[in-house]
Amino acid sequence: MTKIDPDIRIPDPIELDRIEEQRLRSVAGLTPAQAIAGGEYAGFDQVGIPDRPPQTEREREVYTLDEGEMLINMGPQHPSTHGVMRLVVKVRGEVVVDIDPVLGYLHRGIEKLCENATYTTVLTYVDPMDYLSTMHNEHAPAIAFEKLYGIRAPKRAEYIRALVVELNRVFSHGLMMGFLALDMGGLTPILYSFINRDEIVDMLSAISGQRMLFNFFRVGGVNWDTNDEFLSRLGTWRSHVMKNIEMNEWMITDNEIFRARTINMGTLSGKQAIDLGVTGPNLRASGVPFDVRKAHPYSIYNELEFDVITQESGDSYARYLQRIAEIKQSINLIDQIVDKMPHGPVQAQVPGIIRPKPGRAYGAVESPRGLYSVYAISDGGPTPYRFRMRDPSFITLQAMPVLMPGRLVADTMAIMASLDPVMGGVDK
Amino acid sequence: MAHLRRSRPAADALGRRRSLSAPAAAGSLVRILTERLGNDLHDLWTDEDTVEFQIDGSRNVDVLRTLRDDPDLDFFMLADEAAVDYGPGAHFEVVYHLYSDKHPAWVRVRARVDRSDPRIPTITNLWKGAEFHEREAYDMMGIIFEGNRDLRRIYMSPDYRSFPQRKDFVLPDDAADSAAAGVNPLERPETWDLSRFRDAPAVTFPPSSERPDAPAEGAEGGETLADKSRPR
Repeated sequence: MTKIDPDIRIPDPIELDRIEEQRLRSVAGLTPAQAIAGGEYAGFDQVGIPDRPPQTEREREVYTLDEGEMLINMGPQHPSTHGVMRLVVKVRGEVVVDIDPVLGYLHRGIEKLCENATYTTVLTYVDPMDYLSTMHNEHAPAIAFEKLYGIRAPKRAEYIRALVVELNRVFSHGLMMGFLALDMGGLTPILYSFINRDEIVDMLSAISGQRMLFNFFRVGGVNWDTNDEFLSRLGTWRSHVMKNIEMNEWMITDNEIFRARTINMGTLSGKQAIDLGVTGPNLRASGVPFDVRKAHPYSIYNELEFDVITQESGDSYARYLQRIAEIKQSINLIDQIVDKMPHGPVQAQVPGIIRPKPGRAYGAVESPRGLYSVYAISDGGPTPYRFRMRDPSFITLQAMPVLMPGRLVADTMAIMASLDPVMGGVDK
Repeated sequence: MAHLRRSRPAADALGRRRSLSAPAAAGSLVRILTERLGNDLHDLWTDEDTVEFQIDGSRNVDVLRTLRDDPDLDFFMLADEAAVDYGPGAHFEVVYHLYSDKHPAWVRVRARVDRSDPRIPTITNLWKGAEFHEREAYDMMGIIFEGNRDLRRIYMSPDYRSFPQRKDFVLPDDAADSAAAGVNPLERPETWDLSRFRDAPAVTFPPSSERPDAPAEGAEGGETLADKSRPR
């Protein structure tokens, strides 16, 4: 029988790591690592703790660790953060205790850029913001600038606008279905989503000339009328899109693993969602019938027949079902738009540099991620005096510290994918 | 929150307003607003789908609470909270856009903030979702929202020192070309102030025969080595 010597000290792995780091530093000719005054040495076990006193009450709360808790970083380079974002996750074992989203890795200062660009060129700067809903990004400033300038787009231009934004919504929601399954390990649905998306992107590039950043909207209309290639692609796509969506739905909706990981996960009540500023499909999945297309009808949405779809439970599964229902609703809307589309011009006569009278205007649209709005102030000059964008995914991220605590680390990604944020929009 | 208690179908609750004409309905909203807010209301103004007014920055919480909780107003949703800089010597403005399903108009509340002491009470106790809006406004404009428990920078790094969306912020490109960065202003023709030349008398040259430095006629066409070796 082996005798255990009680005097042998079992080495602390953190201590071993420290010794190893000191050794490596001395070999490399570096100075020894400095201990932070008044705190524990921020080694590998405390990644993410800022080496300065906390600035706010909330920061102190997140970055103060109790016994058994640790911080881990998800991101900024993480395949499931849907872009470049860092989540500082405080965990106790496998369970999330608190979460702090760290933003700004993709910040380009688009608002400031737009304040230094003429009104007509602003519409090119907003494209790369929320890169999955580019048409919507252009729609809101176009509405705001038309209000400021006091013109209206021709009827046919409004119909073409509604057509392209609904197409954009179909592929954006379709990708959400795919990414949600992908973040839970299901690889196939994303392929079907991308088949659908590529068809729509080809269609939109036929009408706009660009593949991803369409630059299609103009102040007072759209850039091009429909053409033969666009219409023929639209017809082909329409003939089999439902089959594609239903195939995806068939793979995901009743899947046992998918249901186990989404039902009763990340439940957001309607009251909570309004309090947190959550809008769009996420809000409607919680039972609140708010849709800008009905609430403040813009473009031609008051001429189309549709209802605001809502779900009841407000969990990840409801948010998924909401997207499916909205895809079908959008396809229905596309049918109505194509049926009703009038003839006529697609652009009002607008000079290249416009100088609206001093004033303020608010343009809001329903983007695939929620209420996307622009508040523009004119001082009579050729550039907007103030150009403010409210991006829905930026505000929706505030729901994460509410939804995540008590869930497993692996579920954070599933819940986040069900909220469908896009970092290009979050970081502006 | 009245919309949550309604048992009618959603489309009716929201689609009803399509038949209302905006000016008439906005008129009743204006009447209710003047009744409930009284002295807080300044410079009321409406357009096709917005009712706008100004308030004092210090009164924002009370006014927004009235707008949210009054059953006749019921602006339950904060659509946007923006900050506007009217430039040095002027003031800041914090602009709230609110939504109600009882009225066909957005309400825009413009709260004035002093530029020398930019402080305004937070509204995170009314809508928790205002937190990111306020962090962004602090980061970009340097407006301090008193009572916000997480007022730190959100886009820029924590050690960043200036507020990039203020109107007196110098863009990095301009700063790199400035005299402070060692650039001679004569190298930047786009900054030259040419107004003083506009009214100056026309400069006339004497004929070349009277000028001592005129090139000699004939040989080499007046071209010298020095001309060839000049840059550009």
